[in-house]
Amino acid sequence: MLTATLRILKFGLQNFVRNFWLSVATVSVLVLTLVSVNILLSLNVLGKVAMSDLESKVDVSVHFRPEVESSRVQTVKVALLSLPEVKDVQELTPAEALAQFSKDHSGDSTVIESLGEVGENPFGSTLIIKARDIGDYPKILAALDNQSYANLIEGKDEGDRDAMISRVQAVANKLELFGLATSAVFAFLTLLIVFNTIRVSIFTRREEIGIMRLVGASDGFIRGPFYVEALLWSISAMAICLAVVLPAVKFGQPYLQSFFGTDTADLAGFFQANFFVVFGSQLAAVALLSLITTKMATAKYLKI
Amino acid sequence: MIRFKNVSKTYPPDVVGLQNANVHIRPGEFVSIVGQSGTGKTTFAKLLIAEERPTKGQITIGGWDISSIKSSEVPLLRRQIGVVFQDFKLLPRKTIYENVAFALEVCGASQKRIQSIVPQALKIVGLSTKADRYPKQVSGGEQQRTVIARALVHRPKILVADEPTGNLDSINTREIIDLLKKINEFGTTVVLVTHNREVVNELKRRVITIDKGMIVSDQEEGKYLL
Repeated sequence: MLTATLRILKFGLQNFVRNFWLSVATVSVLVLTLVSVNILLSLNVLGKVAMSDLESKVDVSVHFRPEVESSRVQTVKVALLSLPEVKDVQELTPAEALAQFSKDHSGDSTVIESLGEVGENPFGSTLIIKARDIGDYPKILAALDNQSYANLIEGKDEGDRDAMISRVQAVANKLELFGLATSAVFAFLTLLIVFNTIRVSIFTRREEIGIMRLVGASDGFIRGPFYVEALLWSISAMAICLAVVLPAVKFGQPYLQSFFGTDTADLAGFFQANFFVVFGSQLAAVALLSLITTKMATAKYLKI
Repeated sequence: MIRFKNVSKTYPPDVVGLQNANVHIRPGEFVSIVGQSGTGKTTFAKLLIAEERPTKGQITIGGWDISSIKSSEVPLLRRQIGVVFQDFKLLPRKTIYENVAFALEVCGASQKRIQSIVPQALKIVGLSTKADRYPKQVSGGEQQRTVIARALVHRPKILVADEPTGNLDSINTREIIDLLKKINEFGTTVVLVTHNREVVNELKRRVITIDKGMIVSDQEEGKYLL
């Protein structure tokens, strides 16, 4: 049994080497498939980083009327912090609100001049609220619509970040869809190429197969080397994919962190932490695809 | 040993390969199956090695009914029947030794067994000194002897030779026939399918004649009739 298994492995390896250029073509397509899957995965990871980064920047500012006393503002702050949806509430005093406004509009001379003409600080206190989840903001805003706050609050600055997040989310979804479609196309091409390679391999080895049948080789012994060949394609493709993807990620890592402006865009760290899960499952998937295709091709063309 | 009982083989749509054949070949016999081209000789041989299944009737070998043999059982049958064809069927990239060893390799034999049996088989066919040569480096007769050596490594009880001398000159033909007689003397049943009149007449062994798919003659010390 062990001898037969070792011989099947040997014959499979021989086929792999003898049909070198066929093997190269097949492995190339498998590599393209795997690389496209990893690009999709990277986009997914980076998309999540971008979303998380954007979400962390989202807040709601509540501007109080200038005449509202600080103690009333504190009361509202405590009430807000008691809400389970609220993660943090930061308070800006009227002076800090003025300084922030001046800073935000430092390039707009008209606004700054207008502010000077007013003479006194027109701002009241401001509460900057951060929710635990981006979906919690509507609830917080609804809580602020309470009638008892109506005389205190001058206005709420919800910003247009929701719209921006939606746009980024939409782009990320489209990228994911595009990636899935690309991977599906490559998977289909893989299926076709592997199928054809096995067909050609059967054709080139028809004499040998005929002799094997004639001298009493078992069905498993005749078919086995084709499965070994398919496994070797898969392993080679995974090895080449690793040799391409890992250096590319390492090379691109500083640029990604610079682009996102945060250390959380750690693609290299992601691949390192999930190495066996990510690449192990990819190897398993591509090997399974190749083996199923081999089964189909040998069933169709290898009459024993 | 071998029994054909009312065996018929029809190829689609309605080409008759063999019709209602009844044959009994005893162990250790040397039987020639003769007839003109396309009369059903090769069909007879193919039925014997389960390359084809009979349309009707029953074929038994040593009590084993191979008429409806399962695909998984065919390799077991083939290991008990050595087969020699006209077109040698040797692997050009393997040496004579490797070609013979191949038959054992693909059946899972151990390296030790291969190293023990292959030289013996090569010695029987007289190719011990040419074991390292490639098929194209030896004559047609030697190639056919290699095939016979390959057929012998499983120590078959039956050797089926389908036109083994078809591609050979008269000298090589004689050598191959002598070799088949020698193998038969060791106790192996030999079924020789041929249309070579001289070979059959010189053998003076049992001759079964097939014409248009039917067995028209079965003589114990027969001659080529057609």
